[in-house]
Amino acid sequence: MEATSEPLLDAKSEVTNQLVDFQWKLGMAVSSDTCRSLKYPYVAVMLKVADHSGQVKTKCFEMTIPQFQNFYRQFKEIAAVIETV
Amino acid sequence: MAAGEFEGGKPLNGLLNALAQETFHGHPGITEELLRSQLYPEVLPEEFRPFLAKMRGILKSIASADMDFNQLEAYLTAQTKKQGGITSDQAAVISKFWKSHKTKIRESLMNQSRWNSGLRGLSWRVDGKSQSRHSAQIHMPVAIIELELGKYGQESEFLCLEFDEVKVNQILKTLSEVEESITTLISQPN
Repeated sequence: MEATSEPLLDAKSEVTNQLVDFQWKLGMAVSSDTCRSLKYPYVAVMLKVADHSGQVKTKCFEMTIPQFQNFYRQFKEIAAVIETV
Repeated sequence: MAAGEFEGGKPLNGLLNALAQETFHGHPGITEELLRSQLYPEVLPEEFRPFLAKMRGILKSIASADMDFNQLEAYLTAQTKKQGGITSDQAAVISKFWKSHKTKIRESLMNQSRWNSGLRGLSWRVDGKSQSRHSAQIHMPVAIIELELGKYGQESEFLCLEFDEVKVNQILKTLSEVEESITTLISQPN
């Protein structure tokens, strides 16, 4: 019998990757040349992802606290759904 | 030129808006001459220039210090008292402008100071992937997540990731650790 799979999300990147590593840090931006009083916390994330060929790339990005909370909330939703599928 | 020759009101509000667009929101291109001719047509260019510089300086100072309303009032009052400062009329316009635009300006300053990519969007789907190996059907749900990332002023990059249930739960655990750190940080006195 043949393996079948559902068509993938019509993703703009067209290539799905596996997450190999997830590193994070919580930082506080204090001051900058354009703003002496920045004072905002942020979450910096470094992902290591592997494509189908096994090649590993690093992707870094930052989130404000509200963005992180939304990110976290979405993952909880995903967990809830994946449990029931 | 006396500060009083520049009226406050709508022209000044328009000027502050244009300055904010240029300085904070990254939309330059409104020339000094255009501003003068639109907002202060009766003022000579060589008189307009220092006035514009003064307003730009005041707006930058207020934004840089992220002034709260007490600090703002104190600062503007001091500006009205000094030689070559501003009128109380102009102070009122500036005060009103900062109060209504503070959040947006602050957000722009935050975005400008972030040199990494930011998370612009997240979409996801859970697939029930069915594979048959030999004669057994194996049901393996998979979450597909698309992250939209982008640096300030640049186009988005899309990253698509696949997670099985085990991976999702691992990430969830990591995220709860992040949240714990945030809670600890926020609960500490500044």
